[in-house]
Amino acid sequence: MSAGLPIYLDHAATTPVDPRVAQAMIECLGPDGAHGNASSVGHEHGRRARALVERARAQVAAAIGARPECIIWTSGATESDNLAILGVARFNADRGRHVISARSEHKAVIEAFKQLEKEGFQVSWLKPGSNGIVDPEQVEAALRPDTQLVSLMHVNNETGVIQDVAAVGALCRARGVAFHVDAAQSVGKLPLDVQAMSVDLLALTAHKAYGPKGIGALYVRRDPPLGLRPLIYGGGQELGLRSGTLATHQIVGMGAAFELAELEREADVERLTRLRERLWQGICALGGVELNGDPQRRVAGLLNVSFHGVEGESLQFALRELAVSTGSACSSATDEASYVLRALGRSDELAQSSLRFSLGRYTTQEEIERAIEVVRREVARLRALAPGAP
Amino acid sequence: MQAVTHRPARGRTQGTYGALVLEHFEHPRNAGRYRPQADVIEGAAGRPAQGAAFVLSARIEDERLGAVRFEAYGCPHCIAAASWLSERLRGATRADLDAWRWTEAADRLEVPAEKWGRMLVLEDAVHELARAWERLGEAAAPE
Repeated sequence: MSAGLPIYLDHAATTPVDPRVAQAMIECLGPDGAHGNASSVGHEHGRRARALVERARAQVAAAIGARPECIIWTSGATESDNLAILGVARFNADRGRHVISARSEHKAVIEAFKQLEKEGFQVSWLKPGSNGIVDPEQVEAALRPDTQLVSLMHVNNETGVIQDVAAVGALCRARGVAFHVDAAQSVGKLPLDVQAMSVDLLALTAHKAYGPKGIGALYVRRDPPLGLRPLIYGGGQELGLRSGTLATHQIVGMGAAFELAELEREADVERLTRLRERLWQGICALGGVELNGDPQRRVAGLLNVSFHGVEGESLQFALRELAVSTGSACSSATDEASYVLRALGRSDELAQSSLRFSLGRYTTQEEIERAIEVVRREVARLRALAPGAP
Repeated sequence: MQAVTHRPARGRTQGTYGALVLEHFEHPRNAGRYRPQADVIEGAAGRPAQGAAFVLSARIEDERLGAVRFEAYGCPHCIAAASWLSERLRGATRADLDAWRWTEAADRLEVPAEKWGRMLVLEDAVHELARAWERLGEAAAPE
């Protein structure tokens, strides 16, 4: 824990840059760095930058079982989601105007689909079960002859629940329907293989995997090629799908981060599973708590808990020694209780009194013990103030 | 005690708390509830599902509120406002309770406009306390 700062348990929001990644990025900067434009391959500066960009492309591709030419650089998962969803739907609008997604998706997906609704598309919004899981049979039942796109996130950012994307991918592949997966939360936590998962489009970001903010990628199936209409027009970089000068140092950071995430995944997962279980056991001892999301099918470092008898904003403020996310309306950027937890059937009250603890590469056993102590103390204190306290 | 009836200033932005809120949230005064007795009255309003719930209970001494206790469910502003009010209402008459308005708490605690509705719930609890006092008086009156 950094001196004076809260214990950081918000890795699902973003992660610190790994020092090894930062070093790789620094080497790109400055007069002696790879400052050339990666498109200016007529001179050595440009070729040097291009080589680094292509190396990073191969690193990202390797982390998801893809060919490097299938990786398109973007500014992050939000742009990747938008490019995938709007790009495919608009390109193929004459083939069908029905698309499918789920109510528990990230806003980057939901808002892109709402834009499609404004453009005359019909969206089937699937409701997950109370465990957060969308049954592939729900997707099958929603498919229509005019369906052209299905989008489902791999790991939910609030609950950590893992969707069976391979089963949905197989369904879509059999029907010739494009399948997009938001995998922003997956890298370094789960193995990813776009071939085995029958995924056509996969959105990725660096900053959830100890890379820099402001860089992401979209995997686009090339065999057979998938039609996609760009969102940004200009110099025609990235096969014309995403114009703009490539940010070499950011791209190098993403490549290095993904390579490290894969190399250290098994060890990280094993350690984080242990820490998360200890945190859950420690919090559970309070009583009056509920785990949000499936208890088994979820990623290692994430724990989402609702506390009975405690209001969310007060809870988060009382726990300001911990940097965690809350489902409370008042202290988040939106004006509603967590729509993801409400989609799982949680009441507004329980959705608002939820906390998301997301552990990461630098979380220590001591920090978890301290977190348990603080949560127990403050929840008990707030409950004692509430009407009907024993 | 004087009632404040003007609209409060807009208050702080969400997620920030003034010194008075911090003080009462961290060190609530008079938390709890009196057991039912002849000289104890109680007023409650709100529900957790509404985001705020308050119970005020008080002892009556010589036609004034002797001591006031509170229970509160809600955001830090709610808990701090109930704690602050438990001190503010000491010595109040029944007429003071009837005249009390939420705007005083909103002003003193710099409650943001988005939460003014919760202060209205607190005002309801104060007026319920006055109603309980009234009923106590009626019950004690000679036949």
